[in-house]
Amino acid sequence: MTHTVQVLVLGLLLGGVYALMASGLTLLFGVMRIVNLAHAVFVLVAAYLAYVVFQALSIDPIVSLSITMPVMFGLGVGVYLLLFPRIETSPRYVEMTVLLTFAVALVVEGLLTFIFTGIFRSTRPGYVTDAILVGDLFIPTGQLYAMVVSLILLSGLWAFLQLTRSGRAIRATTQNRTAAQIVGINVRRTSALAFGIGMALAGASGSLVSFLFPFFPAKHWQWVALLLALIVLGGMGSIKGAVMGAIMLAVAAAFVSDRFGPTWSPITFYLALFLVLLVRPQGLFGAKLRL
Amino acid sequence: MALIEVSEIVAGYGVGPDILTGMTLSIDEGTSYCIVGPNGAGKSTLLRTIAGFLKPRAGEIRLQGKRMNGMRPDQMLEAGVCFVPQDKTLFPTMTVGENLLMGGYLIRDRALLHQRLDMVYETFPTLAERKGQHAGTLSGGEQQMLTLGRALMIEPKVLMIDEPSLGLAPMIAEQIFERIRGFGSLGITVVLVEQNAVRGLESSDWGIVLDLGSKEFEGPASGILADPRIRELYLGRQLASKEEHR
Repeated sequence: MTHTVQVLVLGLLLGGVYALMASGLTLLFGVMRIVNLAHAVFVLVAAYLAYVVFQALSIDPIVSLSITMPVMFGLGVGVYLLLFPRIETSPRYVEMTVLLTFAVALVVEGLLTFIFTGIFRSTRPGYVTDAILVGDLFIPTGQLYAMVVSLILLSGLWAFLQLTRSGRAIRATTQNRTAAQIVGINVRRTSALAFGIGMALAGASGSLVSFLFPFFPAKHWQWVALLLALIVLGGMGSIKGAVMGAIMLAVAAAFVSDRFGPTWSPITFYLALFLVLLVRPQGLFGAKLRL
Repeated sequence: MALIEVSEIVAGYGVGPDILTGMTLSIDEGTSYCIVGPNGAGKSTLLRTIAGFLKPRAGEIRLQGKRMNGMRPDQMLEAGVCFVPQDKTLFPTMTVGENLLMGGYLIRDRALLHQRLDMVYETFPTLAERKGQHAGTLSGGEQQMLTLGRALMIEPKVLMIDEPSLGLAPMIAEQIFERIRGFGSLGITVVLVEQNAVRGLESSDWGIVLDLGSKEFEGPASGILADPRIRELYLGRQLASKEEHR
């Protein structure tokens, strides 16, 4: 019994960070119909940034969120305005975004390899080797912190989308781009803002990932495949779906890993994706309403 | 002075052919217009171009004398030109109330926003009853009312409505037309595109007949309805079938 709860807790802790990464990715798809294959490589860029400021200035990776988030926000807005308006009017826009972001991922990965070489890196703040014991439960401190930070950021994202004028503009653009234009929303500015926010979330994930998993430049392919599985499972564009999907799958993967060994844990994601698509092709929280 | 002047506009989609082939017309304040013409005449394209959804390839659009070519839809709305396209463009998983508030997106004064909201609920009591319901769950007629109500939130100078009766039962369509006729008293100049030409012209002051991307004829709506030549050329089949009913 204790063992089951232990596995559940470990799964939930990791789920928070997956949810944070997936929320950014699904936001981009929801608002701009961008399938961002470069999402995980931007998480890596932020992880390397956190690594550099940790090594050079001894800034704790959680504190370095205050650096990675604004830097990635700015980078996101820049990348969006530089690249995406060019393909906006393409009749095969969604396919074009896949190609474009694939190219971006390759270029950025190449740059990272050039600068940092292919060896494993990670930030090692003091708490990564600590754990808290609650009764018989073993809670790794680093993962707990990452979960708490993810929850705070996801709540912040929710509040921003629900309560602010820009947040409403983003939600409106997600639901119906033409209708958003009709009511006077500047969809290009809204898209750039949403891209920036998605990248800032990737930035935050990068800071957290930097002490959770050792990383090297080509690692992002593994992550982006997993993230795409998560957001398809949750329903493309649904942030609630991405978060629920991430947490459920992280827990499921933890149990599979515990029962059959860690080699089998990644397959959980794709198996679950396969099963969900058989039953609910629109994903768990995907929109069924069509206007 | 004319509110909107369109001169020698040429426009089309993507790399496709010109749909508007040198359209010239003017919209005066306080008159209600109905634009009619056969399929493919460029009626919807004209509205989309004026609203900033489509950039003209040539020609000029002026609003109260100011050149508006190449303006974005949000800039046109800010300038007072509101467009209601024929495909229902609501926010399906927002409530009726939220949809209306989104209609007032450009209004930053909260008191004014709520005053407008009350005004729209007064004009469309059905919407007040459905306030908390998701827009996607409304009936076709209610969705059309919500689309119009949302456009009223901004109190535009010009309201361009594309096919308001599309897909609606005749009785419901009749209610919609009645409301649209009332918009004039709010100081809104209505420009209507209507497949049901007779019904559209009956509720407008001025008729504009388009064919093959340019203006063919214009005149008082009652005159167009009475002119046997135009009726035969452009409104023929619909008129005939309507008269059979009588």
